[in-house]
This record gives sequence, C-alpha cells and structure tokens, in this order.
Amino acid sequence: MAELKTEEFVVNMGPHHPSTHGVCRFVLTMDGEVIVKVEPVIGYLHRALEKICENRTYAQCIPVLDRFEYCTSMSCNQVFALATEKLAGIEVPERAEYIRVIMLELNRIASHLIWLGTTSLDLGALTPFLYAFREREDIMDLFEMTCGQRLTYNYIRVGGVAKDIPKEFIPKAKQFLSTFDSKVDDYEKVLTENPIFMTRNQNIGVMSPELAIAYGVSGPNLRASGVKFDLRRDDPYSIYDRFKFNIPTGQNGDCYDRYRVRMQEMRESAKIVRQAIEQLPEGEISAKFNPIVFKAPAGELYSRIENSRGEMGVYLQSRDKEKKPLRVKLRGSSYNHLQAMPHLLKGHKIADVVAVMASLDIIMPDVDR
Amino acid sequence: MNREELAKYLLDKFPDTLELLETGKAEPFFLMKKPDEIVEFCRAIRDDVELRMDFLCQMCGVDTGENFEVVYSVASVKKRYRFDFKFPLPYEGAEIESVQTVWPGANWFERETWELYGINVKNHGNLTRFLLPDDWDQGFPMRKDWDAPDFKRMPEV
Repeated sequence: MAELKTEEFVVNMGPHHPSTHGVCRFVLTMDGEVIVKVEPVIGYLHRALEKICENRTYAQCIPVLDRFEYCTSMSCNQVFALATEKLAGIEVPERAEYIRVIMLELNRIASHLIWLGTTSLDLGALTPFLYAFREREDIMDLFEMTCGQRLTYNYIRVGGVAKDIPKEFIPKAKQFLSTFDSKVDDYEKVLTENPIFMTRNQNIGVMSPELAIAYGVSGPNLRASGVKFDLRRDDPYSIYDRFKFNIPTGQNGDCYDRYRVRMQEMRESAKIVRQAIEQLPEGEISAKFNPIVFKAPAGELYSRIENSRGEMGVYLQSRDKEKKPLRVKLRGSSYNHLQAMPHLLKGHKIADVVAVMASLDIIMPDVDR
Repeated sequence: MNREELAKYLLDKFPDTLELLETGKAEPFFLMKKPDEIVEFCRAIRDDVELRMDFLCQMCGVDTGENFEVVYSVASVKKRYRFDFKFPLPYEGAEIESVQTVWPGANWFERETWELYGINVKNHGNLTRFLLPDDWDQGFPMRKDWDAPDFKRMPEV
C-alpha cells in the first residue's frame, strides 16, 4: 500500500467567534488535531484612543479612557488620574483615596466574575455563568447608585472622585460582602473538583515564570506561574500599603492554576473592601481642580497600577502651559498576554485554544485600544 | 534602593550613556545618549546583578512636534525597581534597533511604533500591518502633522 500522504493545514478562528471575547482572529496551522503555529491577528477593535486623548484636555480624557478596558473602567480612570496627579503634584484627600480603593476592588471582583462566567461557559458549563452574573449584578447596582453608570463610570477624576457615595451604599456593600465568600464557595463547589473542568485545564497552557516575565505577562497570569508579584504590594500606589491582604500564587502556571489564583483573588479583594469600609474617614472627596483651566507642568512619567488582568499603565508626556497632553500611551496587560499565548499553545489540541484564551482573561479592547 | 539611590547607581554604572532628566516626575527618567548601542545597553541592565531589569513595561514612540522620541519603561520583577529612558530621533530616516533579543515582549510594541509613527525597526522580522486595516494607505496616523479628510481636531477652549 502506498504511504499515506499528510500535510499541515490552516484553520481560521474568528474574528467572530463566541469565545474570543471581542473580535480577535487566530490563524492556526494544524497537523491533524495538533497545533503547530498560532498567529493572532488583532486590530479589529482599534479605536485610536491614544490619538483621541492627544486631542482632548486632561479632564476630557477620563470618559474616553473608560472605553479602554471596559470590564474595569474604574482602573482606567484611576491610572490616568494617578498619572495626572503625579505630573501636577495634586494631593488627593483621604476620603477620596478610600472610596477609590473600594470602587477599584469591587470592580476587580466584578471583572473576575465576568471572567469566571465566560470561562466556564467556554468550557461547557452554563451554571456558573448564571451564578457569577447574579453577584455581578449586586456590584453593578452599587456602582449605579454611586455614579449612575453600570459599565463606563467616569467616576474617578483627577484630584478625587466625581461625587460622594450615597447613604445607602455602605449598608448595601456590607450586605453584599457578608455573603460573598459563601458565594465563592458555591462557585468552587461546582468547578474546582469537577473532573471535566480539571481535565480541560490541568497541564494545559503551561507558562514558565521565565517565559511570563520575558513577555511582560503580569497580574494573575504571572502569579499563577509562581511569581509573587503584585503592584499593590510591590509598587504601592494610592493607599494600598494600609491594607492587609494575601497574594495568592500557583505552582504550575497551567490553566487550572490561573483559575485557582483568580478565585482566591476575589476573596482577597473582598477583604480589602471590608477593611476600607471599616476605616473610611469623613472629609473632602476631591482636591481643588478646575478641569477647564487646568494646565499640567512640563513633565513625563509612566504610571502603572494593578488591575484585574495585570499591569495597566499610562505613559504621559506634557508640555508646559498646554491644556492637552502631548502623548498618552496606554499599556494594557492583555496585549502582552495575547503575545505570549502562541507559546502556550504549541503541541496542544485545537479545543485548548479556547481554554487557554479564557484562562488568560484576554479581552480585546485592552489589546487594540 | 530608593528612587535617588537607583538614579545614582545607574549614573555611576553608565556615565557615558545616561543623563538624568528633570522632566521625569515619578521614577528616574534618563536620556539615553547612544541610541546605536540600545541592544547592548538593554542587555547590560537586564543582566546586571544589582538591577535585573527583566520586565519591559512598555515601549513607545512620541512625536514632540520637533522630532521623534522613543521611550522605554523597564522594571525588575525580582528587585522591584523601575525607571524609564528615552532618546530622540530625527524625522528623516528614523530607525531603531529591535530589543527582542533582550525582551521578547518588545515585538508588538516595536511593530506598533513602526506602524503608527513610521519609525523603522532593524532586525524585527515581522513588520507587517497590525492595528490598522490591511489596506491602509493614509500614512502614519500618530504623527502630529497627520491629517485626513474626516479627521477633526477639537476646537481650542
């Protein structure tokens, strides 16, 4: 019998694929079921936010940047406000700092809940999606009563926050936090020991710490590879040095570890919110800042914070007596995660593309900007 | 090392290459005086046992209106340090050397700089259309003098 002829072939995945969380396309070179090469094709969501920001005053940039990473808009507001404050030397009042921390951590939980829902959905489990969105709804209610928005908040402003939290906020948040840990237990009951979920995730997409650092991978994905690095502790910004929290890490750097780390992180974030509510002082909610006449002094800096996906940063360069920034460079963590992804997929089966992408928590607005 | 000590250490270590800039507002910000030796410099700060700058936070181009600048923000995961450096480039024939051999993650940042600013990257290996549409033919949109029929600037307030 003549020898069987085999050859590699190309599979196009996306841009409209339900599990790419936005519009991302992969060109997969396959050898049968096995992946030989992955080439991400991006740019479908490129909105030129950097160019738009160059054309706006500092205060006008904040609502634009809400769209930068819309799962954690609070972080986008925070990172730009922080950079501008450092540039101009603006002191933020105590109360505003605490409110910011409460919002950022609630937003981190909300973002992790979206990740949990969509990840389990991608891997074929529908139930956790419904659970996760039930809890996320409570957080959205809290945000809505504070700033009137559910997704693009425009709440953290240069110098402080837009307005004080309403009276009902604290009791509602306390009520949410009192039951949240048991809710996380519920999700874990469904997924953590589930044999199908474990088989789909364990030893899939293993990322070594060396690879992670070389490619600029940060956040939970870096910590899942065993590197204990969290900007909230290691390069503290705002008032994060006042709170006690653990930094969960993994050992193997596979999809399962990334899942475990994020589940732990939700509990830690809840801990931080509890402490912040406990210590919340009275006082001003914003420094003196006039958005219309504000002119930053000449300067440049790169400021970074830990958002739910990893290191979010903004490089800002300003000219003296100019109302608009000269250059705003946005650094989204998914950009680096997507870049490292082809290395995680080599030798895996085609079905693992979805598992790896879901576990890295890549969303496309963060990549394309 | 705190901010001042880190700046002093770097200036002592690379006296001919670095110059501390007053415009830096957070971490030390340096002017890198030898753009031709960028790869050697990056490798030196990555491999230095005291520094270990193993993490490239971001790298980007800037159009100041008079020339280009290329900014590198580097960090150390092991030692928790961070600083930035930049160097100017002329508009004509702007070209940088790729630092992918030091930080593989620089690949996409460099590709973006090439695409949006038209700064050529030597030894990159994959300078193809990236964020912009495949059939883009309207030049380099992040340049300050870039214009297009449907691009409107905000009125001065």
